[in-house]
Amino acid sequence: MKNAMTLVVLLVAVGILIDAACFIVDERQQVVVTQLGQPVRTIQWPGLNFKIPFIQQLHIFDDRLLYSDTDPAQIYTQDKKNLIVDNFARWRIVDPLKFLVSMQNVSNAQSRLDDIIYSAVREELGRRTLAEIVASERENIMTAVTARSHADASPYGIEILDVRIKRADLPRENKANVFERMRAERARQAKEYRAEGEELALKIRAETDLEVTRITSEAFQKAQLTRGEGDAEALRIYADAFQRDPKFYEFQRTLEAYEKTLGEGTTMVLPSSSAFFKYLGKGK
Amino acid sequence: MQEYQFPNRPHFDLKFHPNMVYYALGVLVLLWLASGIYIVQPDEQAVVFRFGRSVSQEEPGLNYHFPRPIERVEIERVSEVKRIEIGFRTISVSPTPRYQKVAAEAMMLTGDENIVDVEMIVQYRIRDIRQYLFNVSEQAKAVHDVSEAALRHVIGQHTIDEALTEGKDQIQVEIQEQVQKVLDVYKVGVRIEQARLQTVSVPEEVDHAFKDVASAREDRERLKNEAEAYSNDIIPRKRGEAEKMLREADAYKIERVKRAQGDADRFLKVLTEYRKAKDVTETRLFLETMEKILPGMEKYIVDSDGKGGLLNVLQLQKQTPPPAPVPMPAPAAGGN
Repeated sequence: MKNAMTLVVLLVAVGILIDAACFIVDERQQVVVTQLGQPVRTIQWPGLNFKIPFIQQLHIFDDRLLYSDTDPAQIYTQDKKNLIVDNFARWRIVDPLKFLVSMQNVSNAQSRLDDIIYSAVREELGRRTLAEIVASERENIMTAVTARSHADASPYGIEILDVRIKRADLPRENKANVFERMRAERARQAKEYRAEGEELALKIRAETDLEVTRITSEAFQKAQLTRGEGDAEALRIYADAFQRDPKFYEFQRTLEAYEKTLGEGTTMVLPSSSAFFKYLGKGK
Repeated sequence: MQEYQFPNRPHFDLKFHPNMVYYALGVLVLLWLASGIYIVQPDEQAVVFRFGRSVSQEEPGLNYHFPRPIERVEIERVSEVKRIEIGFRTISVSPTPRYQKVAAEAMMLTGDENIVDVEMIVQYRIRDIRQYLFNVSEQAKAVHDVSEAALRHVIGQHTIDEALTEGKDQIQVEIQEQVQKVLDVYKVGVRIEQARLQTVSVPEEVDHAFKDVASAREDRERLKNEAEAYSNDIIPRKRGEAEKMLREADAYKIERVKRAQGDADRFLKVLTEYRKAKDVTETRLFLETMEKILPGMEKYIVDSDGKGGLLNVLQLQKQTPPPAPVPMPAPAAGGN
């Protein structure tokens, strides 16, 4: 029984000692070992490690890409426009010893990084116009900001991998102007569409009227030609026929004309010598 | 003690035996060894760490790792499609989906310095579980931030009209490519499955103006259609009228020719007979005509030999009183 108790006590003691002497560095960690405040070792690879119990201390840092988000800040562009810029950075501790010495911990580093990144952003954006920032130069700006802040941060054992402009928006009071401009632009477009509609309609109507006139007058022309042909043909037929005896035609046609024009209501003064009264005078 | 013992109480030999410590230790060791059994579900993958270092990657099924603290395991759902939302958040999915607008995320500048309101979702999946676990802190936030940055970047390279209409597909592709590119630089170990613009709209403040453009475009179509309707209505009608005019002319021609033919035929027939007895026919025709026309006429016969001219007028029809003022044409009028 005594042996058993001794075994348990021994096991516990050994356990405590092992726990104090061994430490595991995870894939996501890196460690600086200090001895009485003096850094002695930096471990950046995962695995089982040993230290002198109670004398050496561990400072564990994240080995992953860390996140840093600065509050949105107002900046002025080169063309004196106001922009609210919100960016974030992705960084990592590449030299934990330098980091430990200069920053002590991550939250100190965050505020230092804010300053570094903000000044880089302000300077880079201040050299460019609003249009460049929003549209064409964004990638270049981000590359330049990243390079500049990386250079500023590297003395602290920090690598800034990427600074990215998340938002670059106009302040509230400038938005009203933009909306005003957008409205004006759309009003112009709407007018243009309506005017185009009128244009198309007028064009179609005018073309239609032209077509109608063309159809009608072409038809009139053809009709007149046909009528003329008819008249001419009739004329030829009459002439052919009446040519045979013009005198008889004249006689006959005259009689016909008398019949049509003279009659009821006509007052006529006839000389007694007329052909009709040839025999009247004889009887007297 | 014995005085209070219940008669039915089962009897245990509570006497401590040194072997019991070994048994207990043995059981503990067994339990400890058994704690290394784990199950990976079909949609999961596992990474085994030995003293903090990743040593293997396990597929779904029943698995074993050396117990802590020697080895441990982390399990992730790799086939799950994760999604992030930009410009809005889903508050609840059921019974009815409810969303909340996040205006600060949704409003952005376009390349032509207009403001649009965009809502986007990005779907992604873990591509490399070790990269996903080891390289980046707050992976979902990384995807969200990079997507938001890419969304604004790409929208900033397009005009508002492209963003609202035909450029949408192109924008989605560009965003997806850019997000993937940046996340690959971070080595997050995810694959972007899709970046989809849920809605692209204009801010409320200018909504009316944009709607008016749409209705103006409709007005244009309407005016055009009305004009075309006018055209379609009138041209066939006029074509018909033209056809009518032509046929009428044809009819006129036929009538004219046929009538002339008829008149000519008649004349020629009469002429044939007339030639057989010229004088008699002529006289007959003359007298017949006179007979026809003279009865209806008011006639004054003047003697062509006399000198009185109209003064010698005879009134042939008594019933008609003589006109009070006798017309007095010039004396010469009576002459032949």
